Amino acid sequence: MKKSFSVLALLAVLGLGAAWVLSAPRPLTAAEIPRHTADLANGEKLFNIAGCHSCHLPSPDLKDVPAGSPAGGAPLHTPVGTFYPPNLTPDPETGIGKLTDLEFVNIVQRGITPEGEHLIPALPYTSYAHMKVEDVLDIKAYLATLPAVKSPRREADLPVAFIVRRGVGLWKWMGLDTTAWTPDPKQSESWNRGAYLVNGPGHCAECHTPRNVFMVRNDGKAFSGGPHPEGKGKVPSLRGLIERGEFKDAKDIASALQFGETMGYERIASGGMGQVQQNVSKLPETDIQAIGEYLAGLK
Amino acid sequence: MKAKVFTMMMAAGVMALGLASVAKADMGPIESRQACMKANGAAMGVMVPMLKGEKPFDKPAIDAALDAEGKACGGWAGWWGEDTKAGGAVKSRATDAIWTDKAGFEAAGGAFMKAREGLVAATDEASFKAAFPAVGAACQGCHEKFRTAEK
Repeated sequence: MKKSFSVLALLAVLGLGAAWVLSAPRPLTAAEIPRHTADLANGEKLFNIAGCHSCHLPSPDLKDVPAGSPAGGAPLHTPVGTFYPPNLTPDPETGIGKLTDLEFVNIVQRGITPEGEHLIPALPYTSYAHMKVEDVLDIKAYLATLPAVKSPRREADLPVAFIVRRGVGLWKWMGLDTTAWTPDPKQSESWNRGAYLVNGPGHCAECHTPRNVFMVRNDGKAFSGGPHPEGKGKVPSLRGLIERGEFKDAKDIASALQFGETMGYERIASGGMGQVQQNVSKLPETDIQAIGEYLAGLK
Repeated sequence: MKAKVFTMMMAAGVMALGLASVAKADMGPIESRQACMKANGAAMGVMVPMLKGEKPFDKPAIDAALDAEGKACGGWAGWWGEDTKAGGAVKSRATDAIWTDKAGFEAAGGAFMKAREGLVAATDEASFKAAFPAVGAACQGCHEKFRTAEK
């Protein structure tokens, strides 16, 4: 009896120890940040495909701030609670003006704050993790050129369980794959560009792929449709878009993304996809065609 | 006397039949909304291939499509009672914003009607192509806010 108790106690200690080790933040180190000369045009492009502004909208309380500014503070309602995505303008106090490149990359690609805390994956770092670090640095450089806005930080309204941020570390152990994206040499350059934009910055899988009971993306069923991020309804499957007659061909998908309803593509306007479409439409046509080519190939 | 009763019975029967057929034609608000949207979609199906240059510009075909659409959507204003909100037995992709933001919903409808006028007034291919994007943008403006994601 006494023996089995001590075995149990030992197991408990081992379990807690394992949880503590597994939940530790694993940030990128300075050595992993390449020397890079910023490309502002590329940064703007990636800012658009990454959809940064769609969540970091200016708070309704901010007066005289243009709607296009990623000043943050507008509520983002999700099933786990309400977030107030922070200010992405270069304001040093309330924005990202003081962040170093390493701090910025760790937030965007690893979900780790400069203080070493885990971020809840409402920020889709699970997709951004696959981006080229250079692309992330270009986004930072582009953001630095935007007019600074004072937009005070507001803490998320979350149930108590989610405030235990260390627990997010355990989730990351299951749900965060930090493998860098690599091209598939069997596919065309354009297909590979599309694959990168869709799976990295575009973070399409965050909504279009189902999740398991731990809210981890089930990549075995990639792009077969998922729950709506705001908690109501479904996000449609992206598999077999051609075979199911949703679109004629890759070019048709690309026109839908480029023009939306201005060309009568009515199905992609609702549930938040209208905003995504408008973000994608800002990309160069070759990139939009590449996305169309990749999506048309999802069977 | 018998003849009189028979005539009345016949008349009542005809009236009942008439009422039944009216009831059949008179769809509920949600069915009417959906029929209107289907007619919108059908009109799009006529116009978009012309817009993309897959089919030649055909003014009579556009007019016929818009006419059918106008007829199907004529009762619009009366289709948005509080009892037609999605939920329970009511299956609809209408969002609650239709009722919480009535002014916004009306403005979105107004934007569509205004853009539609441009389409009706278009006389040639160039003016049709110039007028269409405003219609599409009005569709999108409404679908984005007032229609939910797929169920």
